Amino acid sequence: MNIPRPPIWLLILVGAVAILAVLILSGRITWFSTDPPVEFVPNMDHQFKAIPQSGSSFFSNKSSLREPIPGTVARNVSVYPLAQGDVDLADSVNVDPNYEKSEFVIARGQNRFNVFCAPCHNYNAKSDSNPIVKRGLWPGIPDLTRPETAALTNGRIFHIISAGQNLMPSYADKVSPIDRWAIIYYLRTLQQAATAGE
Amino acid sequence: MFSRQFDLAVKLGVGALGLVVVVVFCVVYFSVRNSVADVGYRPTQPVPFSHKLHAGELHVSCQYCHAGVEESAHSPIPSSQTCMNCHLLVKNDSPKLAMVRESYDKGTPIEWVRIHKLPDYSHFNHSRHIRAQIDCKSCHGPIEEMGVVSQFSSLSMSWCLDCHRSPDKHIVGARPISGVFTGKLEKVSNLLDSTFLFKPIPAQVDYAGVTDIVVPSFGATESKLPAHKIDGIPHPKYAGYGPENCSTCHY
Ligand code: HEC
Ligand code: HEC
Ligand code: HEC
Ligand code: HEC
Ligand code: HEC
Ligand code: HEC
Repeated sequence: MNIPRPPIWLLILVGAVAILAVLILSGRITWFSTDPPVEFVPNMDHQFKAIPQSGSSFFSNKSSLREPIPGTVARNVSVYPLAQGDVDLADSVNVDPNYEKSEFVIARGQNRFNVFCAPCHNYNAKSDSNPIVKRGLWPGIPDLTRPETAALTNGRIFHIISAGQNLMPSYADKVSPIDRWAIIYYLRTLQQAATAGE
Repeated sequence: MFSRQFDLAVKLGVGALGLVVVVVFCVVYFSVRNSVADVGYRPTQPVPFSHKLHAGELHVSCQYCHAGVEESAHSPIPSSQTCMNCHLLVKNDSPKLAMVRESYDKGTPIEWVRIHKLPDYSHFNHSRHIRAQIDCKSCHGPIEEMGVVSQFSSLSMSWCLDCHRSPDKHIVGARPISGVFTGKLEKVSNLLDSTFLFKPIPAQVDYAGVTDIVVPSFGATESKLPAHKIDGIPHPKYAGYGPENCSTCHY
């Protein structure tokens, strides 16, 4: 039996296709698709249950998130009692729990400051040279290391974080009270460093 | 009985048919696998939001928008309030943000298209992984380089288990841009680099030997580590190997 030897281009082609197939199947090459992935056997992939942030076909407002009964307060969640204008009450309501200023707490303050405050106030709290500050129409974001801000009491800064101040939004829903104190302690170290450096 | 030619033709025909069946099976089987079918899923979002701009260029930390990921199973998608914190004053007349402003005014949610999705019979918990100081990049890839988010990992069961068995090969240590808390002061000079090198501890470790990090314990059920004074800070911990027990993920 005489099978003719396949031409070299065919061998190369077959080889190339094989390599490509292996790369694709092993996930080394991906292409982007706007279509949802194919589900070949959608066994129990979609169960009839409420999944956070996914909507629901069961409830009339199509939201899987149920609103609590008015007036409910969740466990371990504190509602900040003051409105933005109640500046005078800030010190009597926000009593500094005076946590130990250990490295752990300061590090936590730094971590939260860098996440929530640095976008506008920059990592050094000087609110300068920040792309967001430059690109927006901000009338001026104060340098938090200036003496006026350093003179604010801890309770007052707690109030500013919790209730906001003019154009600064409130962070009460994102930063827990203990993290707010940690941020304040960390801010104090930045202010000290700035005054020491001058 | 048959001529040699016919015999050969039958053999070749059966062989070819077998080959076709095998190839078709392989293509169908492998192309519905997560690594092929799911990776690269990049739906068009209602608002042309770019992680490349916000996280990559402006260095807004992941947790500024996905806040709460260190405490809950799911990572929240930001509300339009979060966008408006900045966009009240930044590009507040841009047509690309019209939908965000409408949502903010009327209180209707923006319907972002969901990308990462495990089947409903498997359970994943972010907080556990974030507190073990695992960076978002280990699982979601370099999101801060993506103009439009696409799925980076297969999210298949073998992918979970590969990392649970040899975490040191798969884990990217916490980076400042992700806002993952490590319990130590960060250097903010390079936000996109891991300042923390991940080294897993054996499952049954003698905690007394762990000294170079102040480790508080808030959830008393979680570790035998010495309790820290302050309650309420989600504490980072050294991670061990991940579990391989079926019931940790399927319940
Ligand atoms: C969206 C941008 C933005 C973010 C994020 C932000 N701030 Fe502000 N902050 C401002 C603006 C704008 C002002 C000026 C408010 C005014 O005009 O009274 C301000 C003012 C302040 C002041 C008062 C300074 C003074 O001398 O009056 C303090 C204190 C402060 N911010 C702390 C924080 C802390 C702590 C955080 C993090 C939790 C934070 N800010 C996050 C924009 C921001
Ligand atoms: C300015 C706010 C913002 C920041 C900062 C941000 N994200 Fe997002 N993220 C969003 C929004 C809005 C969506 C939903 C729209 C989309 O998918 O693009 C999203 C979607 C995602 C998704 C896909 C969710 C899904 O549907 O499966 C992932 C993963 C993600 N973000 C990870 C990250 C990581 C990692 C970082 C930090 C490098 C980050 N994000 C920073 C706002 C933000
Ligand atoms: C920390 C501040 C901040 C937050 C929070 C933020 N953005 Fe932005 N966004 C910016 C800045 C700064 C720009 C760039 C403006 C420029 O190019 O001059 C921008 C640009 C944009 C653009 C492009 C606008 C245009 O016309 O080119 C879109 C769309 C956008 N953001 C959507 C969002 C959405 C959606 C969210 C909420 C998930 C969000 N942003 C949250 C600061 C922010
Ligand atoms: C150990 C791997 C892993 C890490 C680390 C991780 N994610 Fe995820 N993420 C997942 C998986 C798996 C899903 C799909 C969850 C589901 O379908 O239930 C997901 C889903 C998401 C979603 C979509 C919403 C949801 O929760 O279903 C967002 C947004 C997100 N991740 C953001 C982040 C951010 C931000 C970080 C870093 C702070 C992060 N992830 C770290 C694995 C990870
Ligand atoms: C990048 C590495 C990595 C990936 C990917 C990963 N994990 Fe993990 N996972 C870990 C580590 C490390 C731990 C142990 C954490 C600790 O010690 O607190 C863990 C712990 C867990 C736990 C907690 C078990 C317990 O005892 O409470 C669950 C559940 C879990 N993983 C589920 C998953 C699922 C489901 C996936 C896939 C969608 C996944 N993980 C992907 C690294 C990973
Ligand atoms: C680390 C978490 C984790 C553990 C441990 C785990 N699984 Fe899974 N399993 C998953 C995830 C995630 C998926 C979904 C994969 C996908 O998207 O197809 C899955 C899918 C499956 C499927 C469906 C596969 C398919 O293609 O339909 C079966 C069956 C299964 N697991 C059985 C088991 C058994 C048996 C064990 C114990 C030996 C186990 N799993 C342990 C995470 C886990």
